[in-house]
Amino acid sequence: MIRNRRTTWFDVINLVIITCCVLLCLAPFVHIVSVSFSSGSAITAGKVFLFPIQFTTEAYSSVFNDKSMLRALGFTILLTVGFTLLAMLMTTLAAFPLSNGKLKGRKAVMLFIVFTMFFSGGLIPEYLLIKSLGLLDKMSVLILPGLISPFSMIIMVTFLRTTIPETLHEAAEIDGCTHFGKLFRIVLPLSLPVIATLALFYAVGRWNGFRDALFYVHDQNLFPLQLKLYQMVVNNMISDITAIEGAEMKKTISESLKAASIMFATVPILIVYPWLQRYFVSGMTLGSVKE
Amino acid sequence: MRAIHYLQRYWQLYIMLLPVIAYFFVFKYMPLYGVTIAFKEYNPFKGVNASEWIGLDVFRNIFAMEDFYTALRNTFLLNGLDFVFGFPAPIFLAICLNELKFASFKRLSQTLLYLPHFISWVIIGGIMYQLFATNYGIINLLLAKIGIAKIPFLSDSSYWLVTYTSVGIWQSIGWGSIIYLAAMTGINKELYDAADVDGASRLRRIWHITIPGIRSTIIVLMILKIGDMVDIGFDRPYIIGNVMVRDVSDVLSTFIYRVGLQNSQYSTATAVGLFQAVVGLAFVLTANYVSKKTTDESII
Amino acid sequence: MKAFRKGVMQWFLVCMVFALVLVGCSSGDNSKSEESGESAVSKGADTNVVEKPKERVKLRVEVFDRGNAPEGVTVTNNEMIAYIQKNFGDPNNIDLEFVPVPRTDEINQLSVLMAAGTAPDVSFTYNSGAVYNWAKQGGLTDLTQLLSENGPQLQSYIGDAMNYGVFDDKQYAVVARRVNLEKYTSIIRQDWLDKAQLPVPKTTEETYNTLKKFKEMNLGGNRTFPLSFALTPDSYEPIIWSFIKEQSDEARYLRSVTIGSREYPILADGHKDGVRFLNKLYNEGLIDPDFALDKDKKKKEENFVNGYTGIMTSDVTQYYFGGEESQVNQLEKNVPGSSVTPLLPWTDFEGKTRQPAYTPSGMYIIVPSFSKRSTEAIKYLNWLAQDEVIQYMSFGEEGVHHDVVDGFPVRNGSDADKKLLFNTGDMLVITNGIDFGSAERNLAYNGLVIDEKHRDAAMANRKMSSQDAVRQPIAFDKPLDSEAKNSTIMLEKYEELLVKAMMAKPDQFDTVYDAALKDFMSSAGNEVIAERTAAYEAMNK
Repeated sequence: MIRNRRTTWFDVINLVIITCCVLLCLAPFVHIVSVSFSSGSAITAGKVFLFPIQFTTEAYSSVFNDKSMLRALGFTILLTVGFTLLAMLMTTLAAFPLSNGKLKGRKAVMLFIVFTMFFSGGLIPEYLLIKSLGLLDKMSVLILPGLISPFSMIIMVTFLRTTIPETLHEAAEIDGCTHFGKLFRIVLPLSLPVIATLALFYAVGRWNGFRDALFYVHDQNLFPLQLKLYQMVVNNMISDITAIEGAEMKKTISESLKAASIMFATVPILIVYPWLQRYFVSGMTLGSVKE
Repeated sequence: MRAIHYLQRYWQLYIMLLPVIAYFFVFKYMPLYGVTIAFKEYNPFKGVNASEWIGLDVFRNIFAMEDFYTALRNTFLLNGLDFVFGFPAPIFLAICLNELKFASFKRLSQTLLYLPHFISWVIIGGIMYQLFATNYGIINLLLAKIGIAKIPFLSDSSYWLVTYTSVGIWQSIGWGSIIYLAAMTGINKELYDAADVDGASRLRRIWHITIPGIRSTIIVLMILKIGDMVDIGFDRPYIIGNVMVRDVSDVLSTFIYRVGLQNSQYSTATAVGLFQAVVGLAFVLTANYVSKKTTDESII
Repeated sequence: MKAFRKGVMQWFLVCMVFALVLVGCSSGDNSKSEESGESAVSKGADTNVVEKPKERVKLRVEVFDRGNAPEGVTVTNNEMIAYIQKNFGDPNNIDLEFVPVPRTDEINQLSVLMAAGTAPDVSFTYNSGAVYNWAKQGGLTDLTQLLSENGPQLQSYIGDAMNYGVFDDKQYAVVARRVNLEKYTSIIRQDWLDKAQLPVPKTTEETYNTLKKFKEMNLGGNRTFPLSFALTPDSYEPIIWSFIKEQSDEARYLRSVTIGSREYPILADGHKDGVRFLNKLYNEGLIDPDFALDKDKKKKEENFVNGYTGIMTSDVTQYYFGGEESQVNQLEKNVPGSSVTPLLPWTDFEGKTRQPAYTPSGMYIIVPSFSKRSTEAIKYLNWLAQDEVIQYMSFGEEGVHHDVVDGFPVRNGSDADKKLLFNTGDMLVITNGIDFGSAERNLAYNGLVIDEKHRDAAMANRKMSSQDAVRQPIAFDKPLDSEAKNSTIMLEKYEELLVKAMMAKPDQFDTVYDAALKDFMSSAGNEVIAERTAAYEAMNK
């Protein structure tokens, strides 16, 4: 987007700002990586900060040897892909008609959806609904209830309204294009940046989410990775539990194992970003449509 | 006649909306009867419908609690700070990234900037204390070396507000910028070329092309943010907060946790939730209306 | 560019098809599962009506999931469960199903399961307030009759602890036994004492002088915090209780409050003196000035293993000795020449070492009122109470899972041991700790778990933990509504009181303490004390 120009003071300041931000954001991650490669005693002694102390890969070998972790990883990938595709489909089905200013009843539907951003039935009624739909302990319970995020949908509506000019709609209609055809042949190809963004939001949300699984899933085969991670990280952190249960129950999971598991659960989703990134680095402009 | 003509043209769009409406109806509207327990003496074994109505008693109890008003005030305070400082931060970052000259560094930094989004608050909480403790936190030890007096980042109310806001910005700035970066790709390149021909400065280009290009995204996100003014996450204030700053760190979500969920008082928790929902909806509709009148942008 | 866009188009189309297939699959799935669910229910109902005990029935049992199952097994599928199925399930025509509940979200989960009518037939929690609420709302089965018919061994095994499960004259819960009642232990740096040429302190005054001396000599370097301290009960409870002058039950009923599982003598004579003493320790630099930020004891442990701490007090559970990674081992590694000695640092006005201890009760095991398997549930618990079952479920087989040392079974730490016994405490729900018949034998057993180098110190330490110990909290004949309702708010206000009063300048202590106490009382304290007073009067009628 930026043409070859001379490097100015503006570029230098900009570079410095970004570099500072990057370093700040990187630090805690480096810390976790260091912890995952350090020995238990060095961690308890508070010696580990930005470099591993008493380097060891023990934590990682036990994570990778744990078949249930690998299975959870596979399941979570499948779940995330399936969820993201369906969610994008539903969000597109919602956003496309609602971005059409001529559609009657558009405002009513928007209000109908926005309303749900603020009101919810609460934990128990939602659980009872899931139970009566027969979704408990099914993979679909981790997919269906969160299919459309009103937030993402509104973003998409805005995007479609501002980037797809009215003239394009009209031109398509004159060509005898149906709305479905218009959606797939004209609108979607133009909307790749927003599709990539929202797909990322959905994918990351599903990848990191575990609260629904916590309540709706008891079958260990359907545990997402983050639920396993949550149990590892948070268990024993609540000092009240160890206090009330007494000596016999105390089982600590080492800090380095926790850190290694965090890395194990985070790195796969981090890989997705650079892949999606190209859609918003090289912009789709209207000019290029005409090619 | 016109109606038939209209339907002939638009029926496909309604077909598309059908599954959407069905989804919201089933998963979002059907459990809504649960809201009524805010007006009931809820007995889980009788169920929501069979529990006894007690009118506004639950609300009366809540409104009589002094802590409720403190929590409400703090919710507005913390969200207000986030709005003033946290909301523009990703926009600023997105513009910086967009102006960055070196493509490979740009891609790399974009990837790294969103790392904090992936670290849960529980883990951030553990690192926070090591960093910010007044007497032996790493930052204060470093400051001491260059002769600056200890700063009570976590134990003094006003410093705590600064810490809370900056940690929030740190955590969300990269992730928040993604949406603006995506919006910037929609800006017509020819506009930039034309500006170059005119010899416009970089700042002028940003001001006259980039910002107007993402204006509707900014406004829509702003409207949504205003709707969330009374809604606040639990983890961040709870984990960053501590006893010494409770007068500013206790917010509605921690209040609900304390009086409601911990002891299975669902009626109380639901009532506070209902209060938040009504205020939130009023805020978002007002913001939407004002925006529609002044800028012609709106979400509904 | 064009080809690329076409590729994306195809990608999206494939996604759509895939998505549609998924929708189809999942909906097909649902209907099937619903059917099977229904038939299972109706089958269960049939057996109940016809009362044919010969027909196979399903018993659902809760199990805590701590995310720590060893490789290859899960909390719902392991050798222990196979053992239970074989020895209890099959002979009684019962299929056992274990329902995992994440340990940390235990109470929220169980609340939802109870409300939705899907809680397991055998459920449990430590939260007495929740259990009492459920009992009051009609959610629990009255077990009085069932226990006398099907639970003779269970009743005799649990003994007195059973009384904790009686609300309003009905046995609503089977309360697990707690075997080891010791709560807190303390150790002191022997090498510091040697350097300061001081004996092990035996009274509060001596302890205070020792701490002062440690600080003066800066024995841990510039960062010497002679006394370990965090904003956690294991730090403040032992000190506060040693200042309490009132010992009678009446005083404890009327001037203490119960918060969760602990008793706080907030209005008792001496409470203010205890806090004043803490204020002195803080202002004289004897504790970590950042203590109020240390909510999870991480910093406290860090200070100790790095050699900044002179006296360390902690839960007995946070055993200092034990394995490789234990705190004392780490200290000895980090600070060459360091060693520790057990001690009882605090004495009360009579010179006794009054300190808190646990009550002999563990968690509350309940049978929901909607359970159709209450008889089987009690039969199961009764089966657990047999000696050979307890033996196997705690130690497995000799030579495979444990070795016999000095007449005690000691788990051998092998893979077989871990696989069978990784969650023994969560499976053998009727007891918390194993009883070997007498306090001496239990102590001897607890010593065997420690490596030899530290065994004597660890045993001395444990012994001290029960000296002049008072079981807490003192209980009414039922949990109190106001305490259940206000437990979190009281804890927060109490911590606020401690922190504010401790960190006040000494000449402002009285003002700050009184104001904080007033805040505590007006936000929840008065309501609780009023209910306690009424309940106490009702009890003594």
